[in-house]
Amino acid sequence: MTEKITVALAGNPNVGKTSIFNAITGSKQHVGNWPGVTVERKMGKRKHKDVEMQVVDLPGTYSLTAYSLDEIIARDFIIEEKPDIVVQVIDATNLERNLYLTTQLMELGTRLIIALNMTDLALAKGDSIDVQKMQEFLEVPVISTIGSRGGGIEELLDSVTKEIHRTRTSENIFVYGVEIEKSAEELENVLAEDPYFSHYPSRWFSMKLLEGDENIIKKAEESENYPQIRKILQRTDADSFEAKIADQRYKTIQTMLRQVCNINTDRLSGSDMVDRVVTNKYLGIPIFLSLMWAAFEITFTFATPFMNIIDIFFGWLAETAAGVITVSWLASLVGDGMIAGVGSVLIFLPNILLLFFMISLMEDSGYMSRAAFIMDKVMSKIGLHGKSFIPLIMGFGCNVPAIMATRTIEDSRDRLITILITPFMSCGARLPVYVLLAGAFFGRDAGIVIFGLYALGIFVALISAKLMRSTIVKGEDTPFIMELPSYKIPTLKGSILHMWERGKIYLKKAGGIILIGVVGVWILASIPAPGSGGTFASEEIYGTTDSMIGFIGQIIEPLVAPLGFDWKIAVALLFGVVAKEIVVGSMGVLYGVGDNEDSLSEILAAGAMTPLAGLGLMVFTLLYVPCFACIGVIKRETGSWKWTAFQLFYGTGLAWIFAFVLYQVGSRMGLFA
Amino acid sequence: MQERTLDFIEPETSVKVLKVTGQKSSRKRILDMGLTPGTKVEVIRRAPLGDPVKFKLKGYNLSLRKKEAETVLVEIIE
Amino acid sequence: MEQHYGKTEITFAALAGLLYTISGIYHIAEGIGIDIGIYEGMARSLFISGDILGGFCLVVTGAVFLYGFKEMMQGINAGVSFLYVGILMSLVFMMIYLLIMGGNLLDSFIVPEDYEGWSIMETFRPGIYLGILSIAGLLYWRDRFSLHEVLALREGA
Ligand SMILES: Nc1nc2c(ncn2[C@@H]2O[C@H](COP(=O)(O)OP(=O)(O)OP(=O)(O)O)[C@@H](O)[C@H]2O)c(=O)[nH]1
Ligand SMILES: [Mg+2]
Repeated sequence: MTEKITVALAGNPNVGKTSIFNAITGSKQHVGNWPGVTVERKMGKRKHKDVEMQVVDLPGTYSLTAYSLDEIIARDFIIEEKPDIVVQVIDATNLERNLYLTTQLMELGTRLIIALNMTDLALAKGDSIDVQKMQEFLEVPVISTIGSRGGGIEELLDSVTKEIHRTRTSENIFVYGVEIEKSAEELENVLAEDPYFSHYPSRWFSMKLLEGDENIIKKAEESENYPQIRKILQRTDADSFEAKIADQRYKTIQTMLRQVCNINTDRLSGSDMVDRVVTNKYLGIPIFLSLMWAAFEITFTFATPFMNIIDIFFGWLAETAAGVITVSWLASLVGDGMIAGVGSVLIFLPNILLLFFMISLMEDSGYMSRAAFIMDKVMSKIGLHGKSFIPLIMGFGCNVPAIMATRTIEDSRDRLITILITPFMSCGARLPVYVLLAGAFFGRDAGIVIFGLYALGIFVALISAKLMRSTIVKGEDTPFIMELPSYKIPTLKGSILHMWERGKIYLKKAGGIILIGVVGVWILASIPAPGSGGTFASEEIYGTTDSMIGFIGQIIEPLVAPLGFDWKIAVALLFGVVAKEIVVGSMGVLYGVGDNEDSLSEILAAGAMTPLAGLGLMVFTLLYVPCFACIGVIKRETGSWKWTAFQLFYGTGLAWIFAFVLYQVGSRMGLFA
Repeated sequence: MQERTLDFIEPETSVKVLKVTGQKSSRKRILDMGLTPGTKVEVIRRAPLGDPVKFKLKGYNLSLRKKEAETVLVEIIE
Repeated sequence: MEQHYGKTEITFAALAGLLYTISGIYHIAEGIGIDIGIYEGMARSLFISGDILGGFCLVVTGAVFLYGFKEMMQGINAGVSFLYVGILMSLVFMMIYLLIMGGNLLDSFIVPEDYEGWSIMETFRPGIYLGILSIAGLLYWRDRFSLHEVLALREGA
């Protein structure tokens, strides 16, 4: 008979929970070497020896007192949903702090198994840990694992299946001294009387009350017996209890560690050496900038040959299609619509892949946290946090996961501002627009123009944060307490996997929403405008003002005419709201790339648009409404349509103003005419 | 032995924590991270722009802003 | 206290530091349009291109080596960190230049019409030949770099 159980993976941030989750369930959840990668719970399944396990990967947390949203998610799952077994993943190179959570989990009375992870690193460092002894001390199973390579997973699962049938004996191994114990006992007695508390172990609950855990106190307030509880609490010196409890926990851990392991502390570690350089007072920031440039350079330069291959492929495809399909409207749909539209977008796949490869190197090496460390001061100047810097960098890849990553920010107002400014970070979907237009109009200086756009995005984000901070989202500085993980050499496999996962998303998007978008544009470009009297998909009306799309375009054209955009661009921008790649896709359809020898950029450079308008279009694309997916995630993470609408109007307003000033001033001064 | 706050300690110095003061929520977090009384902390270095500061304790690296370090009372150990 | 580096480390840091800094500055100068060559066509013969940002990266790498040189001269043991990180950084930049070179080569096969009269050496850069020095350093101190999963830089004997 098969049994069904829930197994939760808990532990401190960045200890390898997700790596182990992936190894157990065969999933490909995101892994990275910085604290706070996982921000929501992820489910997976695994069957082992007739036991069907529902495995849950949780965000990391340092203790059962939660501060940020991701920690709250982890804590609530453990406390409220009571998984059958909690596997606490522990970083073997950092036992003392990791075991602090263990003490709390034990107090909570969870069925616990410890996965002693990163044992390879501990070994390399020269530490030795006596697993057997540790197991005896803690009275819970301890299994050595190497999450990133799947080592020890079978043993871990064996242990899980054994543990569910074991009758447990031990409890309350921590004693906190007479004074605290006395108050705890009194509290426990009160709690025992009230069925309201029966959901929680009373020992744990009273310790949490004595520690002054705000969340637990709030829970207690709902009970009828609260006055009694308050009386006991008032007699205690909460501040000193809090310190004493933490202290006692750490003391117990130290006593144990002295006997079970031998930690090598005398050597300066590789991480310390790297940090000495990359966080150096004079060199830290230049090194950061030079690495950024390097990532940028690779993303753009190395992609060229691969882009050319794709370009040639689509050229061939268009030609073949034109030769095979004889029905004229169908040929136009396939050639001018699908191939031209999707092709103009897919050509940027190499850029996207390289971009994510670079970001994954940054995530996996451990440099991400250092970037936050170096930039914290700058961020504090605008009223934010070093931790807000991580979502901003992730935003260069895709804004959606970046906005999710803000969950690690403790203060809700800091988090709100970070969510609102993240869309100004130029994501991969905007890159096609830049590469196309900068390439068409600025030739050799394209790199500088694109670099400038990224810089503009950062600038707008920072200024906006400052502005919001001092007006609508006022608030104080919040504490900045961040762990700096040790460096790890990124594995080629890991980075390629990450790159491929993102590449797949891009391909799916191209074959899905973008295809639909461009076909939509093609249909509108083929339907005659009301009253024009043309025929469907005839060459006379296709993509002209006599088509439906021309009709719509001309209606909205006045809105963007002051920015130097014509109706075709107005339409492209309108459809680009769905996904920004569609801006390029629809331009491909509208400027008739399909049956043309020249590529879109050649058509544009030949005079379809002035360089100044091109520049304006890039700026506008950078700042205006992010894509549908992003709007959705802003709504979900802020929980408010009001803030979502604010972001949309603010961004689009800024986009309009920037493009307007650029065009008006530029054309008066005769720039890029 | 002289009592000082952690933000006043020069880099490359080792100290022992005496007490954590400061606001409730940040205090608890600092304690949770292991800055309990008696813990040995090494001040490693300040970030390029002077703030935050990197510390080493219990075998791992932690960074705090000076504002948070200010709430930790310490004494220098030789 | 035992010293963790010797003359070789100091000399290497000084040499690499100077070479990288000078070629970086040369790149930047070319980029701005100032000729600082000692003889006609010096920039060409050294494969220096006018590249301000690329030059900046070389200067930063050089500065890392020179900072290590300074600390080691002061007798700071951990100063050798700068030497190791400098070597790693220069290898990163070498790799980037090689990739760009490879990309161009590949491109010249794909769209030969755009590459008439072009030779691969046009993308050859100091970042590549200076990197050879770092490879030598890496091999010489190979027991101190263990690049397998964990970065365990070791202090020398
Ligand atoms: N050397 C080594 N690296 C590991 C091991 N397990 C995980 N890692 C690496 O440690 C880092 C963190 O792994 P994750 O699985 O993302 O950690 P997590 O606990 O899910 O982190 P959060 O979601 O941020 O809380 C990644 O860079 C992994 O590749 C291991 O056993 N040995
Ligand atoms: Mg995770």
